[in-house]
Amino acid sequence: MQMPSLWGAVAVAGFQLRRLLTPPRLAMAALGAVFPAAVMLAASRASRGRLDPDLAVVLLYVLIPEGLCLLGLLVTMCPAVSDELERGTWVHVTVRPSGRASLLLGTFLAAVVWTGSVALIALGIALAVTKVWHPEAVAMAFSGLIVLSCIGRAALFALPAVIMPKRALVASVGVAIVVEYLAGVLPAVVNQATVSLRLRTLLVEWMGWRRKLPVEIQLLVDMQPAWVQVIAVFIVAAVFLTAALFILERRQFPPSEEV
Amino acid sequence: MIHITHLTKLYGSVIGVNDVTVDLDVGAHGLLGPNGAGKTTFLGLITGQLRPTMGRVEVFGEPPFANPRVLRRIGYCPAADLAERHATPQAWVRYLVRLSGFTGGEAESRAERAIEQVGLDSASRRPIATLSKGMRQRVKIAGAIAHDPDLLVLDEPFIGLDPVARHELVHLVRGWSRDRSLIVASHLLHEVEALDAGLAVILGGRLVASGAALEIRSLIESLPAEIRVRCFPPQRFAEVAWRSTGVESVRVESEDIVVVATRQPAALAAVAQQAAADGLAIAEVMPADRSLEGIFGRLVQLHRGVGP
Repeated sequence: MQMPSLWGAVAVAGFQLRRLLTPPRLAMAALGAVFPAAVMLAASRASRGRLDPDLAVVLLYVLIPEGLCLLGLLVTMCPAVSDELERGTWVHVTVRPSGRASLLLGTFLAAVVWTGSVALIALGIALAVTKVWHPEAVAMAFSGLIVLSCIGRAALFALPAVIMPKRALVASVGVAIVVEYLAGVLPAVVNQATVSLRLRTLLVEWMGWRRKLPVEIQLLVDMQPAWVQVIAVFIVAAVFLTAALFILERRQFPPSEEV
Repeated sequence: MIHITHLTKLYGSVIGVNDVTVDLDVGAHGLLGPNGAGKTTFLGLITGQLRPTMGRVEVFGEPPFANPRVLRRIGYCPAADLAERHATPQAWVRYLVRLSGFTGGEAESRAERAIEQVGLDSASRRPIATLSKGMRQRVKIAGAIAHDPDLLVLDEPFIGLDPVARHELVHLVRGWSRDRSLIVASHLLHEVEALDAGLAVILGGRLVASGAALEIRSLIESLPAEIRVRCFPPQRFAEVAWRSTGVESVRVESEDIVVVATRQPAALAAVAQQAAADGLAIAEVMPADRSLEGIFGRLVQLHRGVGP
């Protein structure tokens, strides 16, 4: 397997981010950034301003590190290969030394930066309109959760992006449902490889909820400390990315499939 | 420079390249063949985008597939149009140069130089989507030469270019191939001839002829000409034609068409006169198949030992 060039990956990331700076993409990002705040306001109104602060945190968690990050990564990471094939740029990139590896890692970086930025802005707006205990602590914890969610899920979506580029979006939604939300809540060994288990556990740890949790909910989180969860996310991401790189290095597309 | 042995590429059951063995030395080479002949697949194998199903391809002594050492020395301009909408030529070429391992400042100056070389400096800051097809073609060529490769591979580089731009590009590419290597794929013989390149003719994934341009042209010209005669009844005309000298084959193609292959087309006029005198109705006499497809078809027959 080729070793990706750091400068190549940075070049791809910069180029991909500039591609995202189009009016439709910016409008979508703006919508994503205000949507969680709108939902929090609606929930607060529905509860006549007495939304339980812990419930508000759970709602924020579902909306931002889970919902918004997942959606953002679906549209930025999944087309890693298919977009290049459609634009006729795949062949230009793959005839460069380490082009394939740079393309994957650069797109991964761009997806994390773009989605992470939108999610952090969304968090700031949502916290401004939501009553929670210790908003600074919540902001810190959620910033960490957003970064980890983006890294873990972008790496996960890299696999469908390289295995079935033309169906990557559908496949990634399937992977998100089956791996993250089905296997992730099974109290079995299989959930250890999911990002959702690690994020839930970190939420519980960083919010100091471990002792408050009912026994049946404790089955949905891991018993290990926070630093183990953080390392686990990086390991899972590294494994997914390495597998995706391995596959991408061997992918071949007949000339008729390019464009 | 390029050493190819029994190279075959299959896409499932479809043959892209079929058992090609050829050595290409340093210098300029033209790859000639009609659309769908396997030229792009052949170039894909040389430029490391595709891996051989069977056989071996070595470029600069190594297999090129996903090989950074080889890819660093190759510049490739594909035939497919560049559909990058928002980037400018300068940004696009700089991006490709950075992917070739150059850092920011060096990439910027190389991109500028390449864009100037292809004569696009006035349009270098315009979005690629707003450029004409010919200008987009030049952007692709700038991307292929900006990192100063040892081997430049161009797939149908003249498509969409007006005669002036074509002339300029020929000039640029000929200058390039003076001290470096060049492979140009085209379906037009005169385009490749203009580059003073050696020729390899490919059809149906097979290499059917290779050599100097003059050799290939004389080979093509040595092929018997096919003459199509519209007449009635065709069987009688076929009998008359077959008895005359210089005719190599006669084929009744339809109810009123006979195709005659001959090395002496002028002699066929006498045949037609004789046939008319015998009471045959001759409506039309015309060259049957001087198209490139036809010439390639005859070359295949030669290759297989079927033809004359």
